[in-house]
Amino acid sequence: MEDKKEFVVALAGNANVGKSVIFNQLTGGNQIIGNWPGKTVEKAEGFIEQEGVRIRVVDLPGIYSLSTYSEEEIVSREFIAKEKPDLVINVVDAVNLERNLFFTLQLIELEVPLVIALNQYDILERKGLSINGKKLSELLGVPVIKTVAVHNKGLTELFETVRNALLKGEKKVSHLRYGKEVESRIKELAEIISKKVKTYYPPRFVAIKLLENDPLIKKEIKDEEILKKADKFRKELKEIHGEEAETVIISERYAIASRIAESVIERKSTLKKSIGDWFDKIALDKVWGYVFFILVTIGIFYAVFKFGSFFSDLLSNWLESFKPVFMRMPLTPFWNKILWDGVMEGVIAGIGIVLPYIAPFYLILAFLEDSGYLARIAFLTDNVMHKLGLHGKAFMPLIEGFGCNVPAVLGTRIMERDRDRFIAAILATLVPCSARTVIILGLVAAFLGPVYALIIYVLDFILILITGRILNKFMKGTPSGLIMEMPRYRKPVMKIILKQTWIRLKDFVYFAFPIIIVANVVMEIFSIFNWIKPVANFLKPVMTNFLGLPPLAGITFLFGILRKELTLVMLSTLYHTTNFAKVLTPRQIFIFGFVTMIYIPCVATIAALKREFGWKRATAVTVGEFIGAIVLGGILNQILKLFMP
Amino acid sequence: MIRNNVTLLDIKAGEKAEIVSLAGGYGFMRRLQEMGLIPGQIVEVVRNSAMGPVEISVMGTHLAIGRGIAAKVIVRPVRRQIYGR
Repeated sequence: MEDKKEFVVALAGNANVGKSVIFNQLTGGNQIIGNWPGKTVEKAEGFIEQEGVRIRVVDLPGIYSLSTYSEEEIVSREFIAKEKPDLVINVVDAVNLERNLFFTLQLIELEVPLVIALNQYDILERKGLSINGKKLSELLGVPVIKTVAVHNKGLTELFETVRNALLKGEKKVSHLRYGKEVESRIKELAEIISKKVKTYYPPRFVAIKLLENDPLIKKEIKDEEILKKADKFRKELKEIHGEEAETVIISERYAIASRIAESVIERKSTLKKSIGDWFDKIALDKVWGYVFFILVTIGIFYAVFKFGSFFSDLLSNWLESFKPVFMRMPLTPFWNKILWDGVMEGVIAGIGIVLPYIAPFYLILAFLEDSGYLARIAFLTDNVMHKLGLHGKAFMPLIEGFGCNVPAVLGTRIMERDRDRFIAAILATLVPCSARTVIILGLVAAFLGPVYALIIYVLDFILILITGRILNKFMKGTPSGLIMEMPRYRKPVMKIILKQTWIRLKDFVYFAFPIIIVANVVMEIFSIFNWIKPVANFLKPVMTNFLGLPPLAGITFLFGILRKELTLVMLSTLYHTTNFAKVLTPRQIFIFGFVTMIYIPCVATIAALKREFGWKRATAVTVGEFIGAIVLGGILNQILKLFMP
Repeated sequence: MIRNNVTLLDIKAGEKAEIVSLAGGYGFMRRLQEMGLIPGQIVEVVRNSAMGPVEISVMGTHLAIGRGIAAKVIVRPVRRQIYGR
């Protein structure tokens, strides 16, 4: 074996089998995880260093096949084929052995060294079943380790097995044979391929994919003779079996998978109907499902608001009580102002206004993600989504948007087509993220009452619906349909939920806090040098005459482009109070909340849009939403004048 | 064209059906086949109401399939024959 210091190990497997959980446990990484398919949309990397061995671990998106139906499949297939990891850990859901083996068989066809992690083994046992791991390992010719990743069981053994395999570095190739007609044609084709063309895929894999009519592989081979031969074979197979060649191959692969699964699964006791099936009777019911969904949503809203407003008052008052201490410091008035009004007011706003709402919100979001209920919402909303030109799966990135719009925009990759992705991404930027939730709850709900906050949410949802319908009308293409595996319900594991919440909170504390504080200091300097007035006056025509807001609000909107929370934070800095009822009229509070909700995606979201869709489309969305927010805010102001002073 | 094709949409909740063929484009067909909807496979319809997707149980997992796609899955009902017609 050559002297190699760093090994590359990839985690691959079906969607939602626990790859990211294993990744986090192995590397101490911070992959966001959740109980719904399509959570990991791009590969994440981490390192393990132990006893002189350094392993780069790559977490690949979950896929069902190595075909090229979706972007994730292409990403995973190309990574395994082109970057040739030293080993692939195939994470297999023990409960769905047959379906998961279908993918394992394809990994074997790719001829990479494999170790199988038979995950969620506890759930299988709870069903009264067990798997003969030794037999499975013999049949497939790969090591098999049983794991329960969420409880950190079997992972040491998994790591040991991986390490041993890496250090041994042997590369044995096992093949699983197809039926006679298929197998003989694969062999013949593979032989010609190995002689005539050089690809980074193994010849046998290429032969199989050509028989499956895989468009990407066809493009890559180019060789006329091979392609002609493959076509001829496809026709012959169709004649023999009466089905398209790809159907024949997929069926035979499934037959192998089910034969293996049947011979290794052992029944210990009788099967019980799971509580999940029973719960789905309500959660997916055509009437009660929606009632339950609405109740859950309102429940979350009130819980976050009650918790947030209570701690917000408590923390703000406590932090404000330090003011005399700061004022007594022996500093020049200039530095005193910078220190208290700049730095400390920023800290107070961050801790007092933002944190109390964001923390419980992230906690509930993590709980929802881990339980499996999210996929049920996708199910319920499939029909509505079709009216927006999307399908139910789009709801998952949209829900993600409630936490932060950035992962929501990236998460639209689970949509199969570009058009659907773009529509979903635009809608995602309109979803009230946690920063906007802070403003709506901390300003509108706190000073006008929760009902007004709910009205803003409803207005926003109506706007999302209308936008979706308009986009659907003007963007070409008919909507595609939903094909989604329904994840099992899982009792959320507290440790994982807390970790998930902490990962998100940490992001907020590390990234948002410095921005909030620096922005606050900048603002204070502006105010000391009297630079605020000219800017405010410049914005006055739109801000005051059209939107009915105080001119200073325009400044907060400028800062809000950096991060949406800043609008509220800056408002408190400019007026030196967190009691906004004293400085804004109810109508102004409402308009302020509404415009902040929709006026522009923040810088980070714009950057994500640019990355995913290019400058042109990112700019179009940004400008469009900016103009839309001002116009709608102005109209709303005119309407509200009739009801509110 | 053969009329009288039964699709997944026609199967009521609780009933079983055997997959006959898939009548969609290459991409969708493949995806469904890879999820286990291969000719000859028996599936059970778990939920089927006009309000939402069809939920089926196939190979131990539950799949949600949008109504548009379910309309392209040709099946043969597997029924216990009680009353002949």
